[in-house]
Amino acid sequence: LSTVNKVSNVFEDVEFCVMTGMGKYSKLYLESRIAEWGGSVVQNPGPETYCVIVGADNVRVKNIIASNKYDVVRAEWLLQCFQTKMLVPWQPAFMIHMSPDTKEHFAREYDCYGDSYTADTDVAQLKEVFSRMEDRKLMPWDVIVELEERYSWNSCQLSIFRGNTIYVDCYAVVNEPRTKIHGTTLSIRALELRFYGAKVVSHLEESVSHVIIGEDHSRVKEIKALRRTFGKKFKIVFELWVKQSVEEGVPKDESQYLI
Amino acid sequence: MEKTLNRIHPVSHPEETYFLQVSWEKDLGTGFGIILSDGQCAWTGKVSEAEISREAADMEMNKEKYVEELKKALIAGEESAGKYNFAISRDEENTACHFSYERNLKDGSFRLGSLKLQKVSNPAEVIKELIGYCLDRLGSLQAKNEHLQKENERLFSDWSDVEKRLEKCVEAKEELEADLYNRFILVLNEKKAKIRNLQKLLNEARESAAAA
Repeated sequence: LSTVNKVSNVFEDVEFCVMTGMGKYSKLYLESRIAEWGGSVVQNPGPETYCVIVGADNVRVKNIIASNKYDVVRAEWLLQCFQTKMLVPWQPAFMIHMSPDTKEHFAREYDCYGDSYTADTDVAQLKEVFSRMEDRKLMPWDVIVELEERYSWNSCQLSIFRGNTIYVDCYAVVNEPRTKIHGTTLSIRALELRFYGAKVVSHLEESVSHVIIGEDHSRVKEIKALRRTFGKKFKIVFELWVKQSVEEGVPKDESQYLI
Repeated sequence: MEKTLNRIHPVSHPEETYFLQVSWEKDLGTGFGIILSDGQCAWTGKVSEAEISREAADMEMNKEKYVEELKKALIAGEESAGKYNFAISRDEENTACHFSYERNLKDGSFRLGSLKLQKVSNPAEVIKELIGYCLDRLGSLQAKNEHLQKENERLFSDWSDVEKRLEKCVEAKEELEADLYNRFILVLNEKKAKIRNLQKLLNEARESAAAA
């Protein structure tokens, strides 16, 4: 490495330890580029090491992380420095692991997901922040309903039926999902309802707000009888209500579709 | 050339069955041929366009309307059964046969047309032809039925395929939404925690300033 030609002083007096390379950028390539830019390279990190550069994971990398002494940075950061010809400031996206000092510094600037407290975000940055979140929990439907109401997003075209719990009369025997009648337009209506924000249930219970009926009216009597036993009354509407609400992008008044 | 074959019962002998074949080119109004058979003998005749026009004029009827009536009487079959009467009279030697068709009215009937049919010398040939026509028709209907059935099966399987795909799209949309909202909430709550923390710091600073 003593024979390289220096092309820049960006890394003057900065000591790196390159642990692994990535893809077409080998460890040796990264090391020689660092040297060209005036930096120095060591094989094991020491007290003077600025950071550890990692392209791909391996056991040594894991040990370095476990030691909690060094900042472990993605090789992409280095490549960005080479590309922009400057010392690119560290951002959460580049950090594989942070030493306690760096962590404290970042905690003042960024939340634990890497989103800045002060700088505006944009679609790409937010996507990046979201992509690094490991929590794969799904938000329950009723929390989404609350959230959309709170931020007034419930007028969105995809939320026509938001907040409605709907039973679709597509079972030959009421409340028997095993008796589902296949190939009818009602099963399409059920999917449309879900797509536009409704919660479609297979059991007719107190929480239901609407029952959707198709061409076949043979179970209406039974459904009406069931309704008499409920405290909270649901509306029984013809499937046209779903169709026309979707076509017009707003929930239509149910009164013209009642059965 | 188009053809229909119907079963008719003469008004005079309702228990007897005759087979009536009517054949025409494009439209009944341009003339048609008739074959009548009782299964043993056969008679044949023709009605020309001129005769149709004359009949219509005699009845002071619009020709189109008259042709409509003819269609109902001669080729509609089951649908108009009972609404039209057929009279068949044969002479002793079966050489000629009078055939007439009339519209049934509440009080009596209304003659639409009549013609004299000629005996066919070889009725077996005619009957063979009639049976042949039936078999051909049966064959083509069967083929059409099979085709429609296959088409129906294909449509049904396409439908359920699309339905399954749509369901996947809906599931993916629901999941994406729930997932994005979850991430959104986590980031949003981090910001709120920061604001709370800053409020706390501000209050502490105010308190210490007030104390000083």
